[in-house]
Amino acid sequence: MKAVFIVYNMALTDRVDYLLDKMGIKGFTQWTSISGRGTETGEPHMGTHTWPEMNNAILTIVPDNKIPDMLKYIKKMDEINKDVGIRAFVWDVVDQY
Amino acid sequence: MSIYSSAVEKPITTIMLFVGVVVFGLFSLVQLPIDFYPEMEPPFISVMTTYPGANAADIEENITKILEDALNSVENMKEITSRSMDNLSVVSVEFEWGSNLDEASNDIRDAIDQILEVLPDEVKRPAIFKFNTSMMPIMMYTITAEESYASLEKLIEEKITNRINRIDGVGSSGLGGAPERVVYVDVDPARLQAYNLTLEQIGGIISAENANMPSGNIKMGLMDYQVRIEGEFPESEVIKDLMIGSANGKSIYIKDVAQVRDTIKDVTMYQKVNGHDGAMMFVMKQSNANTVQVCRKVAKEIEEVKASLPSDIQITLLQDSSDFIVDSIMNLAETLMYALIFVVLVVFVFLGRWRATIIIALTIPISLIAAFIYLFVTGQSLNIISLSSLSIAIGMVVDDAIVVLENITKHIERGSNPREAAKYATNEVWLSVIATTLVVVAVFLPLTMMGGLTGILFSQLGWIVTITVTISTITAITLTPMLSSRMLRLREKKEKPKRLSYDNTMGKALNKLDNWYAKIVSWSLHHKKVILGAGVVIIVGSLILTTSIGTDFMPQSDQDSMSISIKCQTGQRTEITEKTAKQVEQILRNNYPEIININSSYGYSEESNMLSLFNTTGSNYINVRTRLMKKEERNRSVFAIADDLRKKLDTIPEIITYNVSTGGGGFGDNTVDIEIFGHDFEVTNALAQEISYRLKSVKGAADIQISREDDKPELQITLDQRKLSQHGLTTAQAAATIRSQMYGMTPSKYKEAGEEYDIIVRFPEGYRTSITQVENFNIATPMGQVIKLKEIATIEEIWTPPTIERESRQRIVKVQVKPEGISLGELATAIQQDLKNVSIPQDISIALGGSYKDQQESMGDLMLLLVLIILLVYIVMTSQFESFKMPLIIMSSILFAIPGIVLALLITNTTFSIVAALGGVLLVGIVTKNGIVLVDFINLMRERGYKLYDAIVMACRSRLRPVLMTAFTTVLGMLPMALSSGSGSETWKPMGIAVIGGLTFSTIVTLVIVPVLYGSMTKSGGRDKKKTLRKQMKFMEDYQPDQKQIENK
Repeated sequence: MKAVFIVYNMALTDRVDYLLDKMGIKGFTQWTSISGRGTETGEPHMGTHTWPEMNNAILTIVPDNKIPDMLKYIKKMDEINKDVGIRAFVWDVVDQY
Repeated sequence: MSIYSSAVEKPITTIMLFVGVVVFGLFSLVQLPIDFYPEMEPPFISVMTTYPGANAADIEENITKILEDALNSVENMKEITSRSMDNLSVVSVEFEWGSNLDEASNDIRDAIDQILEVLPDEVKRPAIFKFNTSMMPIMMYTITAEESYASLEKLIEEKITNRINRIDGVGSSGLGGAPERVVYVDVDPARLQAYNLTLEQIGGIISAENANMPSGNIKMGLMDYQVRIEGEFPESEVIKDLMIGSANGKSIYIKDVAQVRDTIKDVTMYQKVNGHDGAMMFVMKQSNANTVQVCRKVAKEIEEVKASLPSDIQITLLQDSSDFIVDSIMNLAETLMYALIFVVLVVFVFLGRWRATIIIALTIPISLIAAFIYLFVTGQSLNIISLSSLSIAIGMVVDDAIVVLENITKHIERGSNPREAAKYATNEVWLSVIATTLVVVAVFLPLTMMGGLTGILFSQLGWIVTITVTISTITAITLTPMLSSRMLRLREKKEKPKRLSYDNTMGKALNKLDNWYAKIVSWSLHHKKVILGAGVVIIVGSLILTTSIGTDFMPQSDQDSMSISIKCQTGQRTEITEKTAKQVEQILRNNYPEIININSSYGYSEESNMLSLFNTTGSNYINVRTRLMKKEERNRSVFAIADDLRKKLDTIPEIITYNVSTGGGGFGDNTVDIEIFGHDFEVTNALAQEISYRLKSVKGAADIQISREDDKPELQITLDQRKLSQHGLTTAQAAATIRSQMYGMTPSKYKEAGEEYDIIVRFPEGYRTSITQVENFNIATPMGQVIKLKEIATIEEIWTPPTIERESRQRIVKVQVKPEGISLGELATAIQQDLKNVSIPQDISIALGGSYKDQQESMGDLMLLLVLIILLVYIVMTSQFESFKMPLIIMSSILFAIPGIVLALLITNTTFSIVAALGGVLLVGIVTKNGIVLVDFINLMRERGYKLYDAIVMACRSRLRPVLMTAFTTVLGMLPMALSSGSGSETWKPMGIAVIGGLTFSTIVTLVIVPVLYGSMTKSGGRDKKKTLRKQMKFMEDYQPDQKQIENK
């Protein structure tokens, strides 16, 4: 099991939902209307007058074998328009209840 | 902290707030005056001017026209109508609704002051009355007496009418048919001539003799004495011994030429009370006074006075308009009680928990009582409009509480503790509760913005429903959660419910109903075309049926009274009329045991008294007023009796025209008036005759009346100026002489016990019965000669109109028609068709008026209102659903209210009146509520991801109970109203019928049509959104969940 943390521009919400549905991933935890900025590229999404856009974030725990597909599609989604912005980070889940 | 959590946290504050509202509400209720309709009479002021001896045409020219011109510029004036009769001019000024009557009467007084100079000298100062002379008296008493009969008039005037006139709100009170005591000096013209005396001389002597004269003072010793000469007659006997002259050395006394009688004035107007002689006393109210209050005060006053009257005087109540009003209001209040009981029962049946039922039932009195506060604060009355508004509201005020309570119960059953459950559950639904209230307010608030008569009637309804529904929403999100947090408990599920327990009976039945309905919905969804086709057929069919419903203005109500006015041959003597009057009374007595009191009058009153304003009087007129027993105690309605009576009156040959009227004041009869404006009497009379003749062949036209009475014969004496001057006479002198010989003169008054009685010097009636006798009247010239009238004048018999009516300063003749067996609207259409064939002369204009005009105006207003309401509701709903389409689906249910209303009216044979139309307008709000509940839940289900059809069936199944409950509470709330048959019920019945019919039908149909429409209209839209998303995510099409993943699952 791996945890995937997806941070994305709010504009992509519908597409991310679609992606999860399509891949049969039911469980997730979502934070809405959060701010942040990328390390290298893209505009900051701060929800301020200067940087009005905002992000959502999803943390979902998925089987290991889904990870490659998931990252592949997220990358493709990002490539449609680089400026909008979506990133995914994966880490190990050690135990669960 | 939000309003509902505050309420839950501070239960005592919450309770006390509502207790405060209830206490203030009950206080208001006690203070509220009672009336039939809201204050709707426009302020009216009548100006009455007498000009003794002038005929109608003179009056019109010399008084009415001048007054009309003067009053035309008074502020806030709306319309001037006038009637010019012999001796009397009545100008009625109608003011804009809401004008201050006191200010208006001051303005009128100023206007009259300016033209007072222009009026003829003999004219008495115009009297201003704050009431409409076309309104009926609110109370009528009959007074009979035995020993005191002769002095009845003075007694009544002193002891009763003066006191009553002082009561606040009384416009005027007066007496008709009371005997007057007078002293007659009946002079024999032959003897008078023999002694070469004139009537004036006798009059002069009487007035000179009957006088007290102060004659200075005398100082005698220590005292100063006033000297007075007492010449007044100590008794009427003295008169006959007065000396009037001498002839041949002998004194001539009055007794030589005349007969002196102290007696009762000759009666020209007969009042019969149940066949006996009697006087009638009537009380008019000021046009803005409250009938019930005024009647109560008058009745109290009369009771107090009775004790101080001689014991032989009997005062009986003939008519009291407040009886009917109070009865009606009590009846309506009763239906309201039943409605409350029904609504509580419905809630109990659906919820099956008595604690919950109590919580919901509590919102009813609180919201209704708030309405009383509104009425009290704005100074309005408790009337049938406000009470029926409460009937409408009673079913709606529980809705919000039900929604909140249901959600709280759900949360409690899920395991939350009641306090938290109350907060969360209210939070979940409070916005949607407010939204549905907004829809209702969108329907009712526009009612308050209407103008005209409909506006007056319905603004109260608009406010009351808006206020009660708003209060009920506030209660639902404060008191309901608070009480729920305290009273509701988690019910343990019983393993085996008792056989007769709620779960085993009603619960099971309701479950079955839910399942059955779900099946129907899913069948309908698969046969959409059939259902939609049927829907179209129903609507088209009902639209065709609408043509067979009659239309009316206001429903006629049975007011336990009926009045008949009869006209016999013009110029007929009163004695002949009496025979017919007796015959009519006989018919009434023999055929209609329902009649308990008959008051008839015939003949004319010599001086124009106020009674002649409400009835046309004349020697050939009979006016009969009857009082019937209470509606509940008789089998026939007053309308049936009137129809039957009309047939009987048709068979009496002496009767030329008659009018049987069943209205008791306020809103009278429903009539179509054809108003003919034009100056020329002959042309307009001929046209009126032609129209009324034509109308006789129109089906359903009854009681056709021409407002202008037939010309009456008049003797016109034309004086020859040349001959007059030869004899040294002036027209005025000659006229005064003729008048005193004809009419008599009142040179002085006889005083007895502080009362004054007229002394009338005249020729006995026997000496003035033919034109020849008139021609032989003696006229004394200044030269001392006595000449005959015929020497200086010619006498002709001519015909003149007895009254001249004017409206907007133009002469008017009205042809009034009452519908019989058909509705007002149908009659008006038939008449309009018929009038097309009438050629209308130049300078004459014709218009349709009467109740029909009011009806047309009000219906127009209501239609505009309906459009406005539908638009507003649409706006509110589009914002609520954030969709243009959903409101359309919901509002389709409005269309299905139409067949319901049409069928209900047809089955009960009710006409479509303003009240029924109002019911229709209300339905917009009530019916859409059903749709909102359904569509809202279907949307919810779809968002939860269910397939379209599944979502619809599930949502419908779970919302069936709330929809039925709302519908049932409203229908049952109106049911007592629709079924009631007591006094006044005719007025509100149509609304009950329309709402019940419309709501029942549209609820049933909505439950099927709305899901089907939703099914057929939303499919494409839902798919589109997903398609675009899928297109954007095209790169995922290669995704294949492999075997391993499925195993992992």
